[in-house]
Amino acid sequence: MHRILRLSVLLVGMFAAAGSYAIDAAPSLTTADDLGPQVEQPIEFPHSRHAGLHEAADSADPSKPAKGGMEINCMYCHTYARRGMAAGIPPLRKCIGCHQSIESVKETPRIKKLFEYWETKKPVPWKKVHDLPDFVRFNHERHIQRFYFQQGKPVQEVCGYCHGDVKTMTVARRQKALSMGWCVSCHQKDHPVDATSSKTSHGPNDCFTCHK
Amino acid sequence: MIENSFNRRDFLKVLGWGGTAVALSGCGNTSVEDGKEFVTSYSEPADYEIPSIGVYFNSTCAQCDAGCNIMGRVREGRVLKLEGNAGSSINRGKMCGLGQAGVQAHYNPDRVREPLLRNGNKGETLTWEKALSLINEKLGGVKGEEVAFLTGGISGHAKVLLNNYLEVLGSKNHYAYEAVSPGVVRAANKKAYGVEMPRLHLDKARVVVSFGADFLGAWVSPVHFSMQYGQFRKGSRPEGRGVLVQIEPKMTLTGANADHWIPIRPGTEGILALGIINALGASVPADAAAVAKDYTAERVSKDTGVPAEQVGKLAALLKERSPSLVLAGGAAEGYAHGSQNAAAIALLNQVLGNVGKTIDASDTLQFTQIAPTTGSRASLQVLNDSMAQGKVKVLFSYGANPVYTAPASMKLVENLQKVPFKVTFAHYLDETALQADLVLPLDSALEDWGTSVPEYLVDAQLSIQQPLMEKLYPNTRGIGDILLALLKQRRAEDYKAYEDFYSYLRGAMVQNKAALGGAVADDDSFWNATLSSGIVKLPSAAGSILAKVSAAAIVLPAPAAEDASYPLHLIPAVSASMRDGRHANLSWLQESPDPLTTIVWDSWVELHPKTAAKLGIVEGDILEVTSRSGSIKAQAYVFPGIHPDAISVPLGYGHEAMGRYAKGVGANVFKMLDPVMDKETGELAINETRVKVSKTGQRVIVVKDEGAAGGKQMGRKIAVKLSADEVDLSEEV
Amino acid sequence: MSLSNLLENWSQFRHEHPNNDKPHEEYKWAMSIDLDACTGCNTCSVACYAENNLPVVGKEKFAHGQAMHWIRIERYWDEDDREFADQGAQFLPMMCQQCEAAPCETVCPVGATNHTADGLNSQIYNRCIGSRYCSANCPFKVRYFNWYNYPTTENVWPEPMQQQLNPDLTVRTKGVMEKCTFCVQRLYSAKNNARTEGRLVHDGEVQTACQQACPTNAISFGNLVDPQSKVAKQWEQQKVELAKDKQLKDAEEGGTDLRGYRILEELRPYPSVMYLERVRESAI
Repeated sequence: MHRILRLSVLLVGMFAAAGSYAIDAAPSLTTADDLGPQVEQPIEFPHSRHAGLHEAADSADPSKPAKGGMEINCMYCHTYARRGMAAGIPPLRKCIGCHQSIESVKETPRIKKLFEYWETKKPVPWKKVHDLPDFVRFNHERHIQRFYFQQGKPVQEVCGYCHGDVKTMTVARRQKALSMGWCVSCHQKDHPVDATSSKTSHGPNDCFTCHK
Repeated sequence: MIENSFNRRDFLKVLGWGGTAVALSGCGNTSVEDGKEFVTSYSEPADYEIPSIGVYFNSTCAQCDAGCNIMGRVREGRVLKLEGNAGSSINRGKMCGLGQAGVQAHYNPDRVREPLLRNGNKGETLTWEKALSLINEKLGGVKGEEVAFLTGGISGHAKVLLNNYLEVLGSKNHYAYEAVSPGVVRAANKKAYGVEMPRLHLDKARVVVSFGADFLGAWVSPVHFSMQYGQFRKGSRPEGRGVLVQIEPKMTLTGANADHWIPIRPGTEGILALGIINALGASVPADAAAVAKDYTAERVSKDTGVPAEQVGKLAALLKERSPSLVLAGGAAEGYAHGSQNAAAIALLNQVLGNVGKTIDASDTLQFTQIAPTTGSRASLQVLNDSMAQGKVKVLFSYGANPVYTAPASMKLVENLQKVPFKVTFAHYLDETALQADLVLPLDSALEDWGTSVPEYLVDAQLSIQQPLMEKLYPNTRGIGDILLALLKQRRAEDYKAYEDFYSYLRGAMVQNKAALGGAVADDDSFWNATLSSGIVKLPSAAGSILAKVSAAAIVLPAPAAEDASYPLHLIPAVSASMRDGRHANLSWLQESPDPLTTIVWDSWVELHPKTAAKLGIVEGDILEVTSRSGSIKAQAYVFPGIHPDAISVPLGYGHEAMGRYAKGVGANVFKMLDPVMDKETGELAINETRVKVSKTGQRVIVVKDEGAAGGKQMGRKIAVKLSADEVDLSEEV
Repeated sequence: MSLSNLLENWSQFRHEHPNNDKPHEEYKWAMSIDLDACTGCNTCSVACYAENNLPVVGKEKFAHGQAMHWIRIERYWDEDDREFADQGAQFLPMMCQQCEAAPCETVCPVGATNHTADGLNSQIYNRCIGSRYCSANCPFKVRYFNWYNYPTTENVWPEPMQQQLNPDLTVRTKGVMEKCTFCVQRLYSAKNNARTEGRLVHDGEVQTACQQACPTNAISFGNLVDPQSKVAKQWEQQKVELAKDKQLKDAEEGGTDLRGYRILEELRPYPSVMYLERVRESAI
């Protein structure tokens, strides 16, 4: 009698497990290498053009003009990241600040769309690419202060550690897991406190820091 | 049912297998939610707008007449929380619960959002243009003296525009009405000291004897006095730790904090004050001694119920610990002879030599047109009489809810119906707004521009009120803007320079900047500095106060006779949260337990254990409390802080309209108050109502915060009290 | 948590007293409440509602004891059979005492409540499964459970009241325990700013909501590790030590002249809140 009962409970359990796997499986939000999905943005903003490496023109060879990006520092546009908990997104004014005087691209479709938003005073409805769940709060300021200002690491390395090599992308796409385990694994490493010190510490492991 | 052979061991095995199978599926990173949500995106933010960082703006609290200065925390364009403005001499960065609930008044779901025109029993929305032109139409053909404007207490530039408008209409009929206000004390102070509201310094007193003045709860300027009280209790100040004696028939919040709480027969406070003067003996000036001649300790004890030796002890205490401060509060003044009570108490202050030490003159403002107009019931009476005689054709009302607070004996609703056209400027559809023909929706206090001068003046200052965020609803307007629009209907030329109230206000302030401390600055810098600090010092002259004993003819009646049919005195209580009921629709305040009884979300009747025992009443019995003017039903609460001859019911409950949190909660005591007035000022003597109490047979469980132990510590050292002689406070930090 | 980790750090996990061998380094948040200055006005309670997204539960749920006031004012009467309460009432603001040896921390089945390095008892909502063992263990009964899903309950945050919610703090749903956190969102924000400037938080720079609102300044809050902070000076002057369950002063001569005490200290939770006894002059 209990053999049948045990068997049926086991089978029900396995169905439940398989069922929840199925729910998890489709549609998958992550791929095997922790890459986030391709997120479509209202304007396909080319990070490669703005932040990408610059190749100077070959003055000798006219068939080799300057190309590549303008190597703009991440923090020029993404100013809020070093000043507050939430990184936010650059306001439209930041884009217009330069683009109002760049004649060469003024008539291109994406720039025209940009100015449409500006004329009508509408903010661009950017989609959130690195979207953590509501129960966790990540403090951008702390990380930039520690790694960029205190330790003096180059900005590409600091931002790139979590966001990947954004200067090779057009719109951003999540490159790292951004799961708690992934964050904690870095927090458990010892880093020098600042550029000159030999004193090290590791990141906080105090739950309250991120989960208030 | 499973057969008996299925034992515990098997059960656990099954659980284990089933559980494991399901648990295996729990892995995998599914929390990161890319691409689903939008980022908060800006087009052209101000430089100080940084996501996740709050910005603070100063403004003024409008929740009561104290007019504390506040600071709002604004994040992403929404005001979230209010704090005190640290630069304010009124509240020095502190707040009260009522003030904190100001955000709930702003975000209240029951706020009126559109202009409403009465159509039978319903309201139809209409545009502002139509509403304003309707007002213009109704005013045509009406004489100036047939127009009336009812407000609560009012000050600042809105008052200036109000006065201008009435002048333009040819009307002198501004009625200012406050249901709960220290009107009698103000009048008595004026007679005794020459000043309506002298400045009080609790922090300089060694002993405070308060005749029912609930200065920590709801009297005059509670945050300011609480701040002083905090200093008063410090053992490390030069005067040492102060002691508080509270004398009243029903324990108020202040009474609960007293070193000695003395229950007194209702109405006999003046007799006790004269008894103390008598007991002070030889040191008392001749004319005061003459007034107090017959008030021996024995006679006073018989009249008031306070033991004879206690009278002597009080006199000794006041004499020994000088300077002292004696206060007269609502408990003392709420009688037909209230002015006499207050006068006797003022005399006691003067006799003790406190004038000039703990009680001195407030400054007098030079800009009288913005000085506060305080409300009184006498003013409402005049309006009521005019309406009864059909003399009022157009009535405007703002900041008052007389349909809720006026005693039924005034027949206010009947008289209002004689007024052909009524306009109410309102935040909620409260009882008065429901009687109106036209309801115009107001900006909340956190959305509006304005200035105000507090009724209790600490320093001569003008408080700035500025919007802490964009309007929630596009069709509400500030009172200043409405008055300006009405003025422009009549005097377009005079007011055409002012696009809106903001520009009027800015213009008025900048024009006077030399007098307001901004002589050197350019207009913009002055205005920005003003908005940034939220407070402007006003030019004033030092006031003067009469220290000499005024030999006013104080005639105190004998204590009230027993009334066999209505044996108990009704003391309507003013609680810090509910007050006159204007904030009953704020859920934080309804859920905030009454400090003395811990009761929430309902009215109650406080009875002394002796009274309850005599009537066979236990906690929770639904009682019917009947006066000659009306009756209410409320739950009984047995309470050791009340005179056995009295019962107490809190004011501010029993709304029939106003919103989801106010409607139907508790019972309205205002309605059943007997129409007895203070003889000198005409203010309603709210403590003169006599009632009888009967059980209805129903009983409920009282919803309160205290547990079943009802305020007992069960032998544990939880809230500990030390006797003053056992402690050394001088070294404290 | 691996077995080897447990064995390696055994001394850390099992010690007699929470911080005897590992004292707080930079911060230990503590509070001191003067019961003589407290008037029982309930401002602190309302300020806490405003700051911490507390739901208003309404009359019926309040009657069931499901009120959510993280700080509540308890009112006690004298128990000597007087006819009138002629020495007034006793008011006591009671909130989570952030005990150093918190009885709630040890019994959480999933470890949702822990102790932070700066001395707070942390409550992690997304980890909590709602066993309510922690509130059963709390001697002060300052833990509050979300019996209902208040964000979706009618009339708790009706449009537009939800705009008032503080975004720095979680809005709790059904099934999680919550309690006073000493306004952790303010503390961590202040620590963040201080660290950016390369310093520690100054005394008075960060205030809890209750402390900031209290009109009589009855509540002092600060860092016990900083000897110059008001709170540290008060604890020292009153001779109350964090790590003792019975204060030395109670045994010594004249020790009872001092007003500072902690509630239910004998149960050894080592609370971080010191109360100053109310004083009454009976002779007058």
